[in-house]
Amino acid sequence: MFSHHVTRELSAYCNGELSPEESSRVAEHLIRCRRCRSEHEVVRFGVSVAERLPLIQAPESLWSAIESGRTKIPPMRHGKAWGWQRQFAAVAASILVVVGLAALWLYTRESRPFWQVARIDGTPRIGREVITKDGRLPVGEWLETDASSRAKIDVASIGQVEIDPNTRVRLLETKPTEHRLELLRGRMSAYIWAPPRLFFVDTPSAVAADLGCAYTLEVDDEGSALLRVTAGWVALELRDRESMVPAGAACATRPGIGPGTPYFEDASPLFRQAITKFDFEPADSDWSKIPSLDLMLAEARPRDTLTLWHLLSRVEGKDRERVYDRMVALVPAPAALERERVLRLDEYMLEFWKDALTNVWTDESFLRKKWIKVWTKGLGKIKGGEGKK
Amino acid sequence: MGQRAVMNETNVDERVIEACRNGDREAFRLLFETYKDRVFSIAVYTFNGDEGAAGDIAQQVFLKLMTSINQFRGDSSFTTWLYRMVVNACIDERRRRRRFLPFGELESRTRMTDRKSQEKRFARIELAGCVQAAIAELRPKLRMPILLKYVEGLSYEEIADVLSCSKGTVASRLNRGHKELARRLGHLRDQVIAGE
Repeated sequence: MFSHHVTRELSAYCNGELSPEESSRVAEHLIRCRRCRSEHEVVRFGVSVAERLPLIQAPESLWSAIESGRTKIPPMRHGKAWGWQRQFAAVAASILVVVGLAALWLYTRESRPFWQVARIDGTPRIGREVITKDGRLPVGEWLETDASSRAKIDVASIGQVEIDPNTRVRLLETKPTEHRLELLRGRMSAYIWAPPRLFFVDTPSAVAADLGCAYTLEVDDEGSALLRVTAGWVALELRDRESMVPAGAACATRPGIGPGTPYFEDASPLFRQAITKFDFEPADSDWSKIPSLDLMLAEARPRDTLTLWHLLSRVEGKDRERVYDRMVALVPAPAALERERVLRLDEYMLEFWKDALTNVWTDESFLRKKWIKVWTKGLGKIKGGEGKK
Repeated sequence: MGQRAVMNETNVDERVIEACRNGDREAFRLLFETYKDRVFSIAVYTFNGDEGAAGDIAQQVFLKLMTSINQFRGDSSFTTWLYRMVVNACIDERRRRRRFLPFGELESRTRMTDRKSQEKRFARIELAGCVQAAIAELRPKLRMPILLKYVEGLSYEEIADVLSCSKGTVASRLNRGHKELARRLGHLRDQVIAGE
């Protein structure tokens, strides 16, 4: 059933680029495959928005500009041709350009989009200005707290971020399709009630992409980070490396390496220590005579298949087989799971298994309680804000 | 969409191109009128709505077309040859502009903010603006196939010719581009569906 997924052909299918036979094969598959059907909905929506791109009329002046460019004779490069008048004109033009750019910079600086910031404790600063009650954090500007300061940021209308002491953050982007913060050091807690992948936090070692959640993120002076998720899911990404972190789990990152392997915080201390060694200090054999992977496999509980699932693509050969075997021993494999395809890191089979394991990784009742809390808090604040207006 | 290219290209045949090679101004004008809006549109979308930059690109492309049309030997279609020139001009301009990126970025942000105040009154303008902004934010290798498909109405095979890659690569990039657009504009889904 899973050997004929059609997700890669969906754009060609929507654009009418497939042969009649291929097209009917895709259509038949979509009827019986829920996953491809939902992917088809996404691609079809992408196609329908792309189709709204209008053709833009070129300005009437374009032809005359081309004509004048055509007849223009390139300037002769004789030394005498650059008389003092030309040099004066060039200097004057340069000054005008500099003044113009300065004016543009001042104008754009003043009209930058911003987030509202409120002081919680102490004297947080935006740039050089101390916030006594509240202030504005414009795009490109830093918000900094010292050892006794805390602040709260309203992330447009999609959530809130609390900034702890000794933290430095910068607003990188805020627009309907993306809100992005940079956390250079310190600790922040985010509560986001927007659709997934609208809110991002850049750290020196990975990007945290919100998938509808609440979490804390801490960055030390070396740029290493620790993500702890309290509700929903967060994706930690750096180039091709990605870790999916659900509620109750954590994940560390290191500069130059990116996100490590996620783990549940209630896993055994030995399990967690073995992950750190495996991810970031694989050459350190002094701490234990037993290899890190062996310790993880031995210590893993059914819930720790979260960690093991991520390990599948991070180990090779016999080690990958051992991880697979341990996983199916901890949680019975779904009937449709194909061992060989998992070991080949077949994308669809891995996703299928992840979907099946999600119930083991997430405690529904716990999540529901957390979500109700987050939503109630968020909606309460929105309503409170409206009341003040 | 696909009809755009077909309808206009009927005006430009081998004789027109030959006349351009011989320096016939009227033939070149016909070529210009046929392709100007499409060349301009690609440049506008590539440079996030900056029509000044787009005008410069279009001017460069047509001037280059004038001076190098003798090099067109008909190995590929004229359209492929032209759009390859447009794609290269956009890439060169992007490289050149990287040095001034902060100004460009701030300018586009300002434009979005200004537009935002009007969006509440003009839902359709908002939708078009958001689509344009989302297109501009795509990575260049995902954006260009989208533009060649939806602005120029090229087939996958023609896009592959322009970008010098395989048809499979075009399909894959369009797939990723569509998904990226859907992700970025998911909050407008109801509006888009209502407008269909």
